[in-house]
Amino acid sequence: MSAEGSKAGGGHGHLPHPDTGPVPVPEVAVPPAAEAEAPDTVWLGLDSAGAGRERFLRPFAVDAGDPDAVRSHGTARGRGIDLLGHVVAARTPGRRERLRPERGAILEHARHARTLVELAAEVRLPVGQVREIVADMVGEGALQLCGPSRPLAHQDILHAVLVGLKSL
Amino acid sequence: MASADSETRPGAREAAQQEPIPQAVKIIVAGGFGAGKTTLVGSVSEIAPLSTEELMTEASCGVDDTGGVEDKTTTTVALDFGRITINPDIVLYLFGTPGQDRFWFMWDELSAGALGAVVLADTRRLDTCFHAVDFFERRGVPFVVAVNRFDGAEDYRVEEVREALDVSEGVPILMADARVRTSCKEVLVELITHVLRVRSPALSG
Repeated sequence: MSAEGSKAGGGHGHLPHPDTGPVPVPEVAVPPAAEAEAPDTVWLGLDSAGAGRERFLRPFAVDAGDPDAVRSHGTARGRGIDLLGHVVAARTPGRRERLRPERGAILEHARHARTLVELAAEVRLPVGQVREIVADMVGEGALQLCGPSRPLAHQDILHAVLVGLKSL
Repeated sequence: MASADSETRPGAREAAQQEPIPQAVKIIVAGGFGAGKTTLVGSVSEIAPLSTEELMTEASCGVDDTGGVEDKTTTTVALDFGRITINPDIVLYLFGTPGQDRFWFMWDELSAGALGAVVLADTRRLDTCFHAVDFFERRGVPFVVAVNRFDGAEDYRVEEVREALDVSEGVPILMADARVRTSCKEVLVELITHVLRVRSPALSG
């Protein structure tokens, strides 16, 4: 089973036909359009079936066996990324993500820029954990942080938001 | 072999830089359990409210041994949010967050940089939003109080609610129905109007 990226199934929200190309990450079959996400197509080994909201976090999901990562949990490392900071994938999931399905899912969902909190909701992991993983992936170059294309002054934002809300 | 590893999309970085990134801003919707936070968010959001969660305790998410995986369940608190695209440059996020004081650790981060907050009050359990009012007052986060009208709940006048919550005259209090989009829109418009009133341009930035 090759790990060549497949765009063949693009836009259809189902697995590509075997003849049209293999699946990038077998465990994580994510439709290209995040909006079309069917929750059950992403299984990260986190939901204990039928147990309400109770979840398990896959061991090593965050630190990938790096003992230093454990110590820094919740401290400086991941804290720099805002809940509403945007990240975008710098590459498609590859062989390395096969053993780290969380990262594969993050790369899939971040094909287009996503806020950290949206990413967490889409990959269905606690946002604190996603923040840690994302920080790592930014460090590796798999993800990029992006600031707003047109930074605006606070006052201008407020006025624009008021106009936007009124026209809802 | 090498080709199977981490396929860098041609031009991915360039594309990433060209993709327009909006400025993401937020409003917090706080209130007690069942006050209608997620309903309000859902009423005005352009997407079905999304949900993520934060761990209540410092998670021992990196484990040294694979035994005892069952110990890795932790209490979580849900963070529901919705989104309103204001214009191509600005996307507004609405975060619904529980009002109890034990969730303060989340509020610290949520309130940082927030445009303002809506305290959703349930007159049947007005005490559940005391903490929210107190928090936003101390943090200097501008807020409005929206009294969510529940069927069967007694009607109170704004003055009565103001007195019961002990909020100053300057804080708008309005009656609302979290299920009704126009009502929620009014609440948000009132909030931003209030924010513009209290925030002098010199203080913002």
